[in-house]
Amino acid sequence: MFPNSTILGPFFWIIMGVLYTLFIAGLFLFFRDNNFKMSVLKWILLITWYTGLNIVIAGAFTLIGENESGAGLKFLGIFGTVFIVLGAGLWQFIKKD
Amino acid sequence: MVTNETKIMYFYGFKLLLNPMSKKQVTRRDFIKVAGLFSGGIALAGAAGAGISAGKNKDSYTGYGRTTYGLDQFFNRKPFIVDHPTYEKVGNTRRITYVEDLFKRNGELRRLLRPMDGGESLWTFDQGIDALPEPLRSYYTEYPESLEAFKQATEKAREQQGNWPKYQKKFWLADAYSSAHASPLMTREPFPPRPVGSPEESDFRGINPEQLQLKSPSHGSKLIKQITHSFGASLVGITAIKEEWVYQGFLRGVGKTDFEVPEHWKFAVVIAVPHEWDSMYANPTYGTSYDAYTKLCFIAGKLEVFLKKIGYSARSHVPPTSYEIAMPPLAIDAGLGEQGRHGVLITPELGANTRLAAVTTNMPLFPDQPIDIGIKKFCNKCKICAEECPSGAISFADKPDKAIRGYKRWSINADKCYTVWNSVATSHSRGCRVCLAVCPYSRKNNWVHNVVREIDPRDPTGLFSSAMLSMQKKFFSYPGGQEYLPPPDGNNKTYLEAPDWLKTEEWFDI
Repeated sequence: MFPNSTILGPFFWIIMGVLYTLFIAGLFLFFRDNNFKMSVLKWILLITWYTGLNIVIAGAFTLIGENESGAGLKFLGIFGTVFIVLGAGLWQFIKKD
Repeated sequence: MVTNETKIMYFYGFKLLLNPMSKKQVTRRDFIKVAGLFSGGIALAGAAGAGISAGKNKDSYTGYGRTTYGLDQFFNRKPFIVDHPTYEKVGNTRRITYVEDLFKRNGELRRLLRPMDGGESLWTFDQGIDALPEPLRSYYTEYPESLEAFKQATEKAREQQGNWPKYQKKFWLADAYSSAHASPLMTREPFPPRPVGSPEESDFRGINPEQLQLKSPSHGSKLIKQITHSFGASLVGITAIKEEWVYQGFLRGVGKTDFEVPEHWKFAVVIAVPHEWDSMYANPTYGTSYDAYTKLCFIAGKLEVFLKKIGYSARSHVPPTSYEIAMPPLAIDAGLGEQGRHGVLITPELGANTRLAAVTTNMPLFPDQPIDIGIKKFCNKCKICAEECPSGAISFADKPDKAIRGYKRWSINADKCYTVWNSVATSHSRGCRVCLAVCPYSRKNNWVHNVVREIDPRDPTGLFSSAMLSMQKKFFSYPGGQEYLPPPDGNNKTYLEAPDWLKTEEWFDI
């Protein structure tokens, strides 16, 4: 993340780890407080979806970073849309009892 | 399912972030929920940042990396800038004279003691300081202890040479390694020096008459690969030499002649390095072949010296034209990659951005085996290089359709290719290399491309490579064959934009 520093890179990934942990913890409390019935399948699908969204964003920006901006934006546009649609479907599925 | 209470909680969560002094009681539970929501979003932004960084990271430039781009100079000097250097001026200053330099002074003395023409000494220690020519006489009159130190060093050097047989086995490799690195400085010819005489003379010239017992050919291969990497090779493979890859009709050091493959050409150490990536992507006008060529000359030349110093025959085969062996098939045998539609070797690590050299030797080595990562199948359906070739030299045939010297392959029209070398907007014929730049395998070492590198060859159905090829053609833009040419035929286009450091307009008024 910080090519000119051997110090900031590890910090970045520590902070990313904290953010992901907080996100999952927040989700867990949100679903429990709002009486969502979260099965193992729902959790797996949700985490898979969120991981996929991360990969799409990181992948697109990797292409942009290596001077393939056109390819990166097309990648983000197509797969980002796919993931938003999948996310909407997943939300409906999660809401179901 | 989302209750009013929840909505209120998120409202107060945002309020809490905006106004920490809010009197509304926020529980730890509420805080985690709101923080979790924000963390999810920030983590996505972090993923984007990590992606940008992975794309830009110079460590992904295989064979180049941080040093080439100045990133080894990572310490921020700005906070420590001072108005005056930290050395201290205490009197009148003057320029340094050459006799004050130890190596220049000692060199002068050595030439007096042992003249380069092999004649008698022009001076001996017994004659003393007064017999020395100027400016040595003045210098040693002022610093007689310096002459005494040189005398002692000369005696120590003689003693060291006498003792060397006692230590040479222990430091056998270190000595050969140092000699190899010193070798480019020891020749007034191009490096590596051109062969002179038959291979039976030339390949053994300067060889160490002593040879240690190699533990096994596997040890030999492992050692030579490590040494070659240390000289700067990105990829190294070893193969036995097939007669049909050896050129006929011309032999360096001898001239135009038909010749048998010399018996001592037992193995070839095949070396690959890439072109600098950003300039390579900006072919044909911003790229060069010579970045990789000079690297290969240094690596192969040093390896030749190293092999000779440990007692084995060696002969470099280096670009642009100093070869006795065709490199791509040799590299295929050595397991480095496969031949592509464009006739260039494609390797998993470098794609078509691969330039080759080899050193032939009689050192017993354990050869590598060829690989099949599905490049031939991919090239059957890709054809991007053929579509983008400004000369139309690359075949569009669906499958390799020509039998060339007994092997089935795609044909390359070398004459058409060479015409484009002479047509693109460079000062003189410097090559084209568009086929290297546009090849989908020519990708840097980052996670996006490495995922493809790892999955594609393991997919027996070919569906993954078809999907990737489809994305390649739909997502990536290509200028189109003629566009690489100067007007009126084209518009001097390059595959990707040139790096800033090669754009004249970034640095000069034009």
